[in-house]
Amino acid sequence: MKQKKDPKSQNAISVKNVSKTFSIPHDKSSTLKGVFVNIFKKNTSEKFNALEDVSFEVKKGEFFGILGRNGSGKSTLLKILAGVYVADSGKLDINGLVSPFLELGIGFHPELSGRDNVYLNATVLGLTEKEIDSKFDSIVAFSELERFIDQKIKNYSSGMQVRLAFSVSIHANRDILIMDEVLAVGDANFQSKCLTEFARYKEMGKTVILVTHDIGTVQRYCDRAMLLRNGKIEMIGNPEEVGNEYIKQNMSDEERRIIKEQDQERERIKKERIQVEKQREVEEKEAEKLKGRQKEEEIKRIEDEKIRQEEEIIKQDEERKRQEEERKNKIAEITKVEFLDKDGKEKNVFETGEDIVARIYYTAKKRIEKPVFGVAIHTQDGIHISGPNTRTSKFDIDFIEGNNFINFIILKNNFFTGNYKFTVALYNWECVIPFDYQDKLYTFKVISKEVNQNGLIKIETLWKK
Amino acid sequence: MIKRHENYKELVLRLAKTDFKLRYQGSALGYVWVILKPLLMFSVLNFVFSTIFNFRNSGTPDYPLELLTALLLFQFFSEGTMTGMTSLVNKAQLVTKIYVPRWTIILGSTMNALFIFGVNLTVLSFFFVIYGKMPSLFGVIMFLIYAALLYVLILAFSFLTAPFFVRFRDLGNIWEVLLTILMYASPIVYPITMMPEHIRKIILLNPLAFIINFAKQGLINNSYTQAIDFATLFLGIIVAVVLAFLVFRKYEKKVAELI
Repeated sequence: MKQKKDPKSQNAISVKNVSKTFSIPHDKSSTLKGVFVNIFKKNTSEKFNALEDVSFEVKKGEFFGILGRNGSGKSTLLKILAGVYVADSGKLDINGLVSPFLELGIGFHPELSGRDNVYLNATVLGLTEKEIDSKFDSIVAFSELERFIDQKIKNYSSGMQVRLAFSVSIHANRDILIMDEVLAVGDANFQSKCLTEFARYKEMGKTVILVTHDIGTVQRYCDRAMLLRNGKIEMIGNPEEVGNEYIKQNMSDEERRIIKEQDQERERIKKERIQVEKQREVEEKEAEKLKGRQKEEEIKRIEDEKIRQEEEIIKQDEERKRQEEERKNKIAEITKVEFLDKDGKEKNVFETGEDIVARIYYTAKKRIEKPVFGVAIHTQDGIHISGPNTRTSKFDIDFIEGNNFINFIILKNNFFTGNYKFTVALYNWECVIPFDYQDKLYTFKVISKEVNQNGLIKIETLWKK
Repeated sequence: MIKRHENYKELVLRLAKTDFKLRYQGSALGYVWVILKPLLMFSVLNFVFSTIFNFRNSGTPDYPLELLTALLLFQFFSEGTMTGMTSLVNKAQLVTKIYVPRWTIILGSTMNALFIFGVNLTVLSFFFVIYGKMPSLFGVIMFLIYAALLYVLILAFSFLTAPFFVRFRDLGNIWEVLLTILMYASPIVYPITMMPEHIRKIILLNPLAFIINFAKQGLINNSYTQAIDFATLFLGIIVAVVLAFLVFRKYEKKVAELI
């Protein structure tokens, strides 16, 4: 006996403890010879846990968003839902027919015309020829490709292909739509069309599962969302919260990356220094050796060589000493710059609207009267955004001496998402001789939550009538 | 139980249709090649073996008809097995980007060979008219049954090899060589009566040779095999296709990851 239930409370998809592991062979042999040759070698392959014990449910009529970085297991999960992959373990229940849209297009053949592809694609999605005949015009109209429908698909742009494939897939009229990154390729006009279509689907009590990187879309349109990370569910529930968690996660990942990069850079410089040191030692030893060798006939030549080498070494030493001297003579220098939030915690990634404190550490060997600190902020492509200094800001410093720092604070920063290069300089009052000048040596990053905003900076605006 | 698809019939037919369309696209003669290819091959072989080796006047008066019949059956087999084996790889998009039952891909691809064979049968009947030969009704029925069995054999081979071809592309080259051997190990260019009795028995152990030989014998000479032999062949092929399908079901699951 079938029990009548409120359709909204029924599960469209239920996933229980699903895991999927891929083994990645280190040397994939796809010939018989390869297999025979490798038969005696140890079979080296890595296990990669694409999904680990994932459980969730999607209700009928729900618009469900899935967020996650590349490699978090989103696509694997979708492929399992679509039936392309078979899960290693766990239980999968799908109530209704699925229309998947994975990667760009499905079953599209470049040598066939758009028309033939529509028929092929729609049949693959389970439509009968009669149904396709009756829906054909509507499919083409939605994709806005009337003029190109009899051309071969290989002449289509990727955007056109996606439009056509998407159009077919929503006309297949199945119960569950699975969409992977469909919005990424289309233009703005098409994106809004897609979203309208999703809303219509939802109204019809159908289920939409959307995978995207666009947090804004998820927060605005989805009923519920899920965040995947390294094959596990990190969070599931309110799209607003899930979206924010995703932003936070990206920020801390970014933070780690920047710190790692800077560490590597430091390591590299250190290594280079050691290299130079070693080189010098080797040269000295060689000179010793030459000294020791006293063959009669070669004495003169060797002597000459020796002198030449020694001279060179002396020259190098002098050069080094001169550089060191210069460093010592540098009256003042900026030793480092740290970025802090308003609570004094060091970090490199900020949200739009946060205060950014740049703490500039300096050393002054001698007392410097009326110094001027200057900074400059550039975008990554080198566009100069701003460059205040203490003199123009009327922040007069009487003198500096010894080790200390000065804070430069960007109040409620209004940068949009991007990397920003930070330049610092220390001048005398006339701003002619720099004591130190460090051009775009420091980087901080800003991530904006207002995902649909474009441009460089946020400006205070108002609409009026 | 998850329902993934309905309308298998339309899907298989659509895949076959698409294949057929694609195959002759970009060629000037287009669909004419469907009949031109076997006819050209027939002309060459007929010239060599009728005129030079003179099989026609040494006990096989209908040699050209026998040759053409056998050749069409063999080409059906070689075409079918080749496309069947490579079908999953050639239609990788249907395997990795969406779910369709994978057996429909195999069925759809091999059906193309079946269709070409069907078209060529009309050419064959035309030749029967030219040579003034009228086969018996039983001969025609048996011929069609043999052709159907041959198709089932093609399916068995395709189910068995397609999932492995994904991993080992060498199979394509190996099979090509084996097909050449099979062609000469079957009574196609030579009449089986040429062979000594004990060799004949060995040759007919090969189901392909058996089908080719008795399909054309029934059609042209109205002579048939014993019921027991036919039953063995019939059952053997059915068992083979069932086993092949079971193997296929076991290995198809990993195909999407390996392509």
